[in-house]
Amino acid sequence: MDRFLTEKVKKAFLVIATVALFVFILFPPAVLFLTSIKTELDALSFPPKWFFQPTLKNYAAILKTSPLIGYAVNSLIVASLNTIACVVIGSMAAYSLARYKFKGSENIAFWMLSIRMMPPVAAIIPIYILMKNVGLLDTPWCLVITYLTFNLPFVVWMMKGFFEEIPRELEESAFIDGCSPLNAFIRIALPLVAPGLAATAILVFIFSWNEFLFALILTGTKAVTLPVGIIGFMKETGINWGYMTAGGILALVPVILFTMLVQKHLVKGLTLGALK
Amino acid sequence: MKDKKIKNYHQGESFFYSFKYKYTWFFFLAPAVIILLSIVIFPMIFSLSLSFHDWNIIRAGGWKWIGIDNYRTFLFEDPYFLTAFKVTLIYLVGTVPLQFALGLITALILNQIVGKVIGFLRTTLIIPTIMTPVVVGIIWRLMYNPDVGMLNYFLSIFGFSPVNWTGMPITALPSVMIADIWEWTPFMALVMLAGLQALPQEPYEAALVDGASSWQIFRHITLPLLAPTMLVALLIRLMDAFKTFDLVFVLTQGGPGMSTEILNYYTYRYGFKFFHLGYASALSWFLVVIVTIVSLILIKMIRSRGTYAEG
Repeated sequence: MDRFLTEKVKKAFLVIATVALFVFILFPPAVLFLTSIKTELDALSFPPKWFFQPTLKNYAAILKTSPLIGYAVNSLIVASLNTIACVVIGSMAAYSLARYKFKGSENIAFWMLSIRMMPPVAAIIPIYILMKNVGLLDTPWCLVITYLTFNLPFVVWMMKGFFEEIPRELEESAFIDGCSPLNAFIRIALPLVAPGLAATAILVFIFSWNEFLFALILTGTKAVTLPVGIIGFMKETGINWGYMTAGGILALVPVILFTMLVQKHLVKGLTLGALK
Repeated sequence: MKDKKIKNYHQGESFFYSFKYKYTWFFFLAPAVIILLSIVIFPMIFSLSLSFHDWNIIRAGGWKWIGIDNYRTFLFEDPYFLTAFKVTLIYLVGTVPLQFALGLITALILNQIVGKVIGFLRTTLIIPTIMTPVVVGIIWRLMYNPDVGMLNYFLSIFGFSPVNWTGMPITALPSVMIADIWEWTPFMALVMLAGLQALPQEPYEAALVDGASSWQIFRHITLPLLAPTMLVALLIRLMDAFKTFDLVFVLTQGGPGMSTEILNYYTYRYGFKFFHLGYASALSWFLVVIVTIVSLILIKMIRSRGTYAEG
């Protein structure tokens, strides 16, 4: 009887703790969403209104009257081009490091990992000066190139792990049949790591999409990406909460959708392969 | 020819090492290495050189060699650097250990939960971790808003007077830290939950047979087995905490005064508000050295043990 009671208490404690935890995590984003579907009057009422007539006016307004769509297009261009470049160049390098164990291959792999860990503020000053001198400032290209600094090492490091997991016998028997190394890479190895490759590409896309510091400094008017653009709704004269929250929600939609697809590889990605 | 290849193969020699393909690795690897050398290593050398010069981009005149003066200035003469350093230390000490402890507790609780609900709970943990950091800043700005924010609403329910969370020097730094804890505790929990779920079951079964208490099991089995995962989570978080920028930018812009001006933000301000690019480069190298120390420890761990957990 006693044991039964402690089990029950333990279970009740577990449930309460879990619920409290998830209210703590989910409440702030819920407030963001609720504010985005309130009229300006409702959003600025205190105490906050829990029951109100929801409206999509903020979304309609930012899509029509603000350059938000332009920002989103910039973000999309930068993130897609960067992802393609990283995946192509990075998976080739990863294949080389995983398959051809030449002298120093481990050192090169860890050198790349250490680049991924560098603070961006250290690279931003020289990159800013260089981009200014070659006239790429405020173009999507400068962000596509700059994001290689952290995304390319990430792809190499992730894909190296995936390539090492697949057996090499298939490629070796292809070599016997006269297949070239490039063909073996493209036709045999790549299809085998396709799920890992897709997950890596999605994570790279999200990292580019979320990036703020480089975009803030390297763009001005034409190539502004979504995070920098949304911050623009924060003016000296005050914050337009409707715009800001609706913009925030729109920025989150692709991130959340994509993340659902890569849940399985997320911990590996976030810990740089230290954990699977 | 083909026969000879097969013979070599059977002798245990891989085609990847055969003479014909001896240098293939080079062509696969070269593009990535060349790109990283030109967009990371070359700029870093450029910035190292710049850090020994005095150069303000909006003032007339070129680079002026001043040796180690920039470094000497911030290490021994710049009182604001010292303030930023202290703010950074408080920030790190106040966030990383707390995130670690809360994350561990969360992971231990979630590890007890079985059934379908765990999938939903894991997904929830992912949301703050993967969310656009600027949007995290917006969320918390909304929460902290002195006039209509949720936090002041809760205070008013319990009869307290409203607080200007991010507007006062005393509360500004804790406010940014709370947002940081909200953002990164789920990451810690996620990582340690993955670690817990990958632990072998045998020691636990043996301990149950021997009649060990839950505390003994935690203390003598879970803790030592989970230690490497815990260390990796801590080091990654510590390394990233030095790079905090977005939250500070959106919530306080380093203010009021210098109350939330962490080193990363201080460096940014010197470079891109005051345009003292030489001094900012020197400051950024200080950050590079610190982060490199942390990352070398982390890399050494990954190197010696390989992957920590599979799950």
